[in-house]
Order: sequence, then structure tokens, then C-alpha cells
Amino acid sequence: MRGFRYESGAYRAELDAGEREVVASVVANVVELLGGELPDLADGSPDGAAEAAGRSDPSVAPVWRLRTEPVPPPDDPAVHRLLPDASQDDPAVAAEFRRLTEDDLRTAKLARLRWLWTALQDDGPVVPAPQAPAVAATLTDLRLVLAERLGIRTDEDADRLGRAVGRRRRHGADDVRTYLVTVYDALTWLQESLVQAMLARGDLGPPGRVGPGD
Amino acid sequence: MPTETVPEQDVRSDEEAVVARPWVTIVWNDPVNLMSYVAYVFRSYFGYSEQKAERLMLQVHQEGRAVVATGSREAMEVDVQAMHGFGLWATLQREDA
Repeated sequence: MRGFRYESGAYRAELDAGEREVVASVVANVVELLGGELPDLADGSPDGAAEAAGRSDPSVAPVWRLRTEPVPPPDDPAVHRLLPDASQDDPAVAAEFRRLTEDDLRTAKLARLRWLWTALQDDGPVVPAPQAPAVAATLTDLRLVLAERLGIRTDEDADRLGRAVGRRRRHGADDVRTYLVTVYDALTWLQESLVQAMLARGDLGPPGRVGPGD
Repeated sequence: MPTETVPEQDVRSDEEAVVARPWVTIVWNDPVNLMSYVAYVFRSYFGYSEQKAERLMLQVHQEGRAVVATGSREAMEVDVQAMHGFGLWATLQREDA
């Protein structure tokens, strides 16, 4: 595995087929958690540019539908971490925010997850510069879900887990938890390489108060 | 030069004072987001200088939270939604009195 480097208009990493399959399976899992579906590779539109812009997404509610009923917070803590509360102590503020924004946020996250899943089907992944902020944000989403599954909720949890897994690896452990930590660490390393490559060329994404994937 | 009229501060009711108090966007520490990425988000989205973004990122990391924007409730809702889009955990509330 080689981390992201910028070359002629795109950030390129080198993952072998097995590594790409592992990352794609995490992407697929998060798509499922958010209630979406993976793209149909047979439809001949692998670049997903329109999807990445969040314009079309048949698997979630149309964006023009204005919700008037409250949207309950997600039951699954991992999904809750992707679509968090906007207030810690004011349920009315959190509920109003969720009603107004959750559909759009879910749609945007699903669109960029699907983009990355498609990109992982080919050598690379190769991420054109305009897509880099969305991929960096998606790597955070993947790591948030894995961290929640691994019980990493504080900085201390992360340190403790790192030490425990290091010990288990030295003893040749090959369990699911060690595997998930390995995947988490690889995604962390990939995201760091992408962010550093973007910062190295002063690529701060779209200007102003515009979020990734928009 | 015209003399400016100084408004009488003490005639406003408590309720008006609450209405005048702006809202803030707070970003919370989490064990997942990379320090480099958080600073990148503050530069990218808010357009903050490298120094300011770095200072706010360290405040989040060391103190557990930082106020990253101030404004109307509607503006803060937009900012919080954007932070959630980046994968950061953010909340909005009235500015502390």
C-alpha cells in the first residue's frame, strides 16, 4: 500500500486488489448502514460526478420533500455518529436541526461513499483534485463507524486499544478485532496521506463556507 | 460633529438581552478525527488562516471543545451541518452570557 500523492491533476494511492476489496467492503457496509444502495456497475456511468454532487439518489427521500414531522435520532450509535445531534442539552434545537438537515446530510454522505466505492473497483484509487475533499471526509466517515464498533469513544480508548492490539499482534493473534484495528489504522494512514498531499499544494477545497461534496 | 446619543443600556429587559445574544458553533473533540484534518476543515470551510485554524484545532484537542463561529441561529445551523458533513461533531447554542 502506498499513500496518496499528487500527480497530474489527481491524488493517487496504490492499494493492491485485496486491500481495495477490504476498503470497498467497509464502504459498502456504511452505505448499508445509511440505508443506501451501491451503484450498479453495469450502468456504464462509473465516474458518478452527478451523484457526487448529490443531485440524484434514488435510494433516499427526494431533497425537495420538506419534512414536517420530527425525525428520530438513529438507533445505531455508528449511524448516530455520522448524523450527530446538533445540541447536547436542548432537545428542541437538536430535533429541529435533524428535521431540517438529516435527509440532505445522508444524501451527500451516500453520494460520496458510492463515488469512492466505484473508484475502488479500478487501480488506485485515483481521486481527481475536485473530489479530494469529499474523499477525505468519507475516510473520516469510514473511520467513525469502525471506531464506534471498536468502542473507541475517547482519546484514552484509542491509546489503550492501540497498545492492546500491538501486544496481540506480537503474539500472532488473528481475530476479528485485531483485523478491524488493522483496517482502521490503514484508513487513518490513507486519510493522513491525502490531507498532507492536499495541504502540500495548498489545496483547501472549494472556497468559503461550502462543505465537502457540494 | 454631531454628538452621538448613547443608548441607555439598562432599559432593555432580560428577554431582549437574550434575543440580542448571538449563537455559536462549537466543535467537540473526538478520538477519530486527525489533527491535520480538523485544521484543514477550519481553513477550508471557514477560510481561517493557518495560524487561527491550528489554534482552534489545538483548543478542541486539549480543552475538548472550541467555539469556531458566531452569528445568527440560521447561520450556525448551516455551519453545524457543514461540520457534520466533514465528519466533525459540532453543536450550536446561544453564546454564554
